[in-house]
Formats: sequence, C-alpha cells, structure tokens
Amino acid sequence: MSWLLDPYQTDFMQRAALAALLVGVLAPTVGVWVVLRRLAYLGDAMSHGTLAGVAAAYMAGISITLGALAAGLVMGWVITAFEGRRRLGQDSIIGVAETLMFALGVLLISQTDRIGVDITHFLFGQIVTIDRTDLVIAASLTLLALLTVAVSFGDLRALTFDPIHAAQVGVPVARLRYVLMALISVTVVVSLDTVGLLLSVAMLVTPAAAARLVTDQVSTMTLVAVAIGVGSCLGGLTLSYHLGTPPGPTIALIAVACFVLASLLTGAGRARRRTVSDIASGSAPAASQVATARSAS
Amino acid sequence: MYRVNPPVHDAGCGLLSVDGLGVAYGDVVALRDVTFDVGAGELIAVIGPNGAGKSSMFRAIVGLVSHAGAVALSGAHCHHQRDRMCAAYIPQRSDLDMGFPITVGDLVLSGRRRFVPFGRRPRQADRDAALGCMRRVGVDDLAERPIGTLSGGQAQRAFLARALAQEAHVLLLDEALSGVDQPRTEQLLDVFHALRDDGVTLLVATHDLALARRRFDRCLAINRGLVADGDPRTVLGERELDAVFGSALAGTV
Repeated sequence: MSWLLDPYQTDFMQRAALAALLVGVLAPTVGVWVVLRRLAYLGDAMSHGTLAGVAAAYMAGISITLGALAAGLVMGWVITAFEGRRRLGQDSIIGVAETLMFALGVLLISQTDRIGVDITHFLFGQIVTIDRTDLVIAASLTLLALLTVAVSFGDLRALTFDPIHAAQVGVPVARLRYVLMALISVTVVVSLDTVGLLLSVAMLVTPAAAARLVTDQVSTMTLVAVAIGVGSCLGGLTLSYHLGTPPGPTIALIAVACFVLASLLTGAGRARRRTVSDIASGSAPAASQVATARSAS
Repeated sequence: MYRVNPPVHDAGCGLLSVDGLGVAYGDVVALRDVTFDVGAGELIAVIGPNGAGKSSMFRAIVGLVSHAGAVALSGAHCHHQRDRMCAAYIPQRSDLDMGFPITVGDLVLSGRRRFVPFGRRPRQADRDAALGCMRRVGVDDLAERPIGTLSGGQAQRAFLARALAQEAHVLLLDEALSGVDQPRTEQLLDVFHALRDDGVTLLVATHDLALARRRFDRCLAINRGLVADGDPRTVLGERELDAVFGSALAGTV
C-alpha cells in the first residue's frame, strides 16, 4: 500500500494525481465517440493542430489553455465547414487543416525559440508542474465537457449509428458534429499538462478502443473506457515516480498495454467460441481429430 | 397491443402526394418530374435499376435532400423537415455500421426522439410505446440483443419497429429485402401486410421483380423519372420492363 501512496505525500504530486484523474475520466468519455465515429485521425490531427494556439498564446502572453482551446475550435470549424465537399473525403480535409495548424505552430515556435521558450513542456506534458490555476481550469472544462456528453448521449448515439434517421427525428445533426469537434478540442487542452500534445491522442483513443473490444453497449463501453483511463493515468503516474520515467509516455504505454490485454482476451474468446461452434456444426475437426492427424504426419 | 395514432386525412387528399419531384446532385439529374399519389394502407413496390433514383426519391420525400416539386403528407404541404416526421426512411443496411454497439431496445427507443425534449430521458410512456412497436413486428424478445447479432430479416423488423415508434404512417424502405433469405423474406412480407392492414403505407424499393408481382398491391417503376405506376402485373409487363431496365430483362419475370 505504501508503494501506492508514497508518491502522493507532496502537494505537487497530489495536484498531478488530480490532473491525471481528470484526463483519465474525460479523454475516454469523449474517446468513445471518437472510436465509434472512426475519428481517431481527427483526434491525432486536433492534438497536433493545437500547437498553433499554444505558440500564438506564448507570443501574445495570454493563457496557453485559451490559445490551445481557440486553435482546436478554429480547426474544428474549418473541418466542419469543408465537410460537405463531395469530391473530398473527410480525411483529406482533416489532413489539410492539420497541416495548416501544425505548420503555423512550428513557424511560430521557430520565433519563440529565439526568445528562449521551452515548448517541449507542451509537446510531452509536464504533469508534476501543474499549478492550482491550471487545475481549476482543467476541472471546469472537464465538468463542462462531461455534462455536454451526458445531456447529448442519446443524440450522439443516434447520430453515430444512423445520421439519416437522426436528422429525420429532429436531432440537430450539424450542431452536434461541431459540438463533438469542440469536445475533442477541450480534451486535448485538458491533456496538455498530463501527456502533452503528441500523446493526447493516446488517451483519447486507446482506452475507448480497448473498451470497444470487450463491450456491446455504448454506456458500458464508456464505463470500461473510463476505468481503463483512470487506471492508466494514476498507474502511470505512480509507476513513473518509482521508475524515474517521464509520466506522459508511461501513462500512454499502460493504456496501450490495456488495449493489448483486451485484444488478447477477446481474440482468445472468439477463437474458443468459433472452435466450439464449428465442431458443433461439423464444419471443423474436433481437437482429438487434429491431434490424431498431427501425430500421423 | 400498441397501435400508432391513426393518420389524419384531409378530405380528398392522399396520405402522400408527390408532385413534380426532381432531385439533382450538381449537374447530375437523379430524378425528374415524378408525380404520384398514395392512400393509407397501400403496399407499394418501387422498382428500377441501380442508380434509377429510388433512394433519392425516398430521401427527397423525407426532406433529407433538397428537391424540386412538392411533397404533401396527409394533405399538408411539407416545407420543412419537421413537417415530414410522419414519414420514415429506412436506409439500406449496407449504409449502416451494423457492428455498432446498440441493442434493439435502444434502437427502437431512438425512434421516440421527436417526442423527447433535448437533454431529457425518454419517459415510461415512450418506453411502453417502443415495446409495443417491437411486439407489433415480433422483435420484443430481441430487445436486449445487439443489432449486429440479428439476421437480415430480424434487423429489418427492428428498423420497422423504430419507424413505428416514430409514429410514422408512411414507411420508405430502401432495399429492405436484400440479403434476406426466402423464408424470412416471406415472414417480412407478412409483417408488411399486417402493417398495411392497420393503415400504414409502405413503399419498398426492391430488385425482386417476381416478389413485387406476387405480394405487392401496386408498383412504381422508376428510371430517373416515373416510368410506370399501377398494378404490378401491368407494370411488370414486357413493354414496361423494357422501358425501365432495357431489353435484357424483358420476359424474365
């Protein structure tokens, strides 16, 4: 037990734990819709695109969180505005928007580097330096995003499964698409300090993808994804303290380990079910027949 | 047993009236000048080759694509999508992710969305209505099953239940019989007949011309416009089929 609690004796580690908890709850909750709507690339692009906002905010001397949030919202608006183009797939539009925002970010960083700003803090996260103000902002954004998901849960499910029917029965389809973009943007911003821009997609996609493998309902998938997310964030933070590794990548790797485990479990389960049903239907040889054939050869 | 509210008619008007309907995607005309009138309790086969404009016609009727011409439901002209909620479009299953994690019960309940204010949970009355619709088409025992585990016929009945939960009186089914084996096709047709007898109107896009002749009351033949409309035995005659599909198909039904 002391192995688990020892790291959290100091104020900064307690704040880090709270920040990790927020990301562990928010990112998988939003990530469920990212995975179900097959928007993993959008999540990745959003995290990269936020760099422009971070750099611009640095240069302007305003809140980094606000800058990142604004960049994410602008990127979401650009993607939504161009979505209807019949000749272009959504992935192409996302690719162009990502290029625009990321290139802009790198360009601005090249200027900020001259004045000595360490941008790697935001690229890879620095959870142990999070202060009280950052924590309050992250908690407020998390609460707002979770409420939005809770209120629009049914509409998000209808939109994701059958957008045509959703539009027929009065779901505000266009508005909801933009809300989802905003949710992804908020998640990336909240993840900035914990895992950084480059790994925020890990928390957005990996726990939800692992949960999808072991569940058959969106509500259950959300609960399992959040459990994996919280476990990865707090487990990763604790492990990084003891191993002396950077928290961001440690958290991301634990989430990936959960995905691999879920994949192995469901793969083994599926193979077992297939074998049983094949034998029952007579389409596959029984294990004893396979063994006999092997020994004969 | 749960019944949807009966459709309200203005005297002398059909349940669905389509007048001069046209759909274009940019420069490509998908459908031109389609006019027909449908009464309550009709079972209509909509036939035509791929790309004939069947799906476009259905989507235009429910207001999912912009169109020329007029659509009226129960005698009232439809100006907005909200005017058309008593018509339900059921898309082809291939257009949907059938592996999506949703149970039949939740799917059918989503049909009640128009009666549930944003942000509110469905009331008990909505749940009862959804259950009644599932019973009506015989999927109430599948309520807890994920949609992806159903057979083609069961899935189609679940979508019918969702449309009934929406309290739609006109159901537009796109390729509803595709990928459904023969015994289950007949079962599905029995459900269509039962709904028709209750006053629901069904327009079913199908490529099964023999079935259209045998089990439907009326046939609309579409090929970028309305080619023929009437009794299936007449519409599926050699000359009419030649006009719709070309000479290769004539005489095969």
